[in-house]
Amino acid sequence: MTGPKKRGCLGCSFPVLVIVGIIAIAIVVIGFLAGPIGQAMFHINFPSWLVVPKPEINLAAPHLFTVFGLPITNTMIAGWITVIILVLGSWLITRRMKLVPNRVQAVFEFLLGWIYDLCISVAGEKNARKFFPVVCTIFLFVAFNAWLSLIPGYGSILITTNGAAHELLRGANTDLNTPLALAIVSFFFVTYFGIKALGVGWLKQYFNIGPLFRSIGDIFKGKFRFMEIFSGAINIFVGGLEFISMLIRLISFTFRLFGNMTAGEILVLIGAFLLPMAVSWLVYGFEFLVGLVQALVFGMLTLVFASMAVTSHEEEAHEVESH
Amino acid sequence: MAAETMKMLAIGLVLGLGALGPGIGIGIIGYGAMQGLARNPEARGPIFTNMIFAVAMAEAIAIYALIVAIMLGFVF
Repeated sequence: MTGPKKRGCLGCSFPVLVIVGIIAIAIVVIGFLAGPIGQAMFHINFPSWLVVPKPEINLAAPHLFTVFGLPITNTMIAGWITVIILVLGSWLITRRMKLVPNRVQAVFEFLLGWIYDLCISVAGEKNARKFFPVVCTIFLFVAFNAWLSLIPGYGSILITTNGAAHELLRGANTDLNTPLALAIVSFFFVTYFGIKALGVGWLKQYFNIGPLFRSIGDIFKGKFRFMEIFSGAINIFVGGLEFISMLIRLISFTFRLFGNMTAGEILVLIGAFLLPMAVSWLVYGFEFLVGLVQALVFGMLTLVFASMAVTSHEEEAHEVESH
Repeated sequence: MAAETMKMLAIGLVLGLGALGPGIGIGIIGYGAMQGLARNPEARGPIFTNMIFAVAMAEAIAIYALIVAIMLGFVF
């Protein structure tokens, strides 16, 4: 063995490890006893600062104040903080770019490179370059929203307005409006690229009335083909279904993100209420992962729908034939 | 039955039944991913990524039920 001498477990000597373990167990036990479950079981009197009050959950973001007639909610403030942090961070990191990156630049290069590779694997080399900016922006915004709202201070700093105490900051995606806005952005993005790539042909997927009218017109030319009229009607119906599914996509995008973020916040609150100090660590780790996964899902679904929109059905058919 | 009792029952049923389908779905997804992994261990990365996507899709349905339960519990 030539490496450095190992000092105990996890880099700590054994007594230190035991002390840390005892402190951790004591925190968990005290948290359990101070929580409502332990209180109901053992009735031990704890100082009031240890007992957590029942959390108050409100789905709608409360109005804090008004700026130029525009009501400002706590989720809006958190959203703008996220934007400012992202913009400032990107500016600081890209200000002095080097060929051999320093640590922070390397981390961000790795993150963006990973998303870019995902884009290439889904959309192909040609389209990935076009889709990457929007997809990556959505990913970064959603992920940093989720991660920033885990910082202590979000939800715990209270401000009194209109006679009631509200949180000053709350994760932006726990308000239904922010996921809806993101979903609308992704919807218009997909539509834009669909129309740009296929022209009016993109709309033909949804309003496919051409074949029916053509076959009806054929009747006047003396050709009556029942099957063509029938398949034309079916085409219109299928197009309608696709149109409805496109609108439902908007709703499912919105509610997936909103539900996950809101459920995460409520999970943190309920965990801190039922077993204070005991399960919050686990919940925090879980929420970190959920934020990453939801950001990835939102970005990737946008990417998948966009790359579906730029490949026409005819093109797909040709590809299948040529194989 | 009292209205409050019905509400409590509804909250429990919404989440219980709403989590049933996604639970089965996530189980099937995990089964498929494990089988794929056992046959082709080199494809661990893509399989894992796609599994996470599929799980998130299935999980979203349980989340809808959760929203309904939360709204029943805290809003109405």
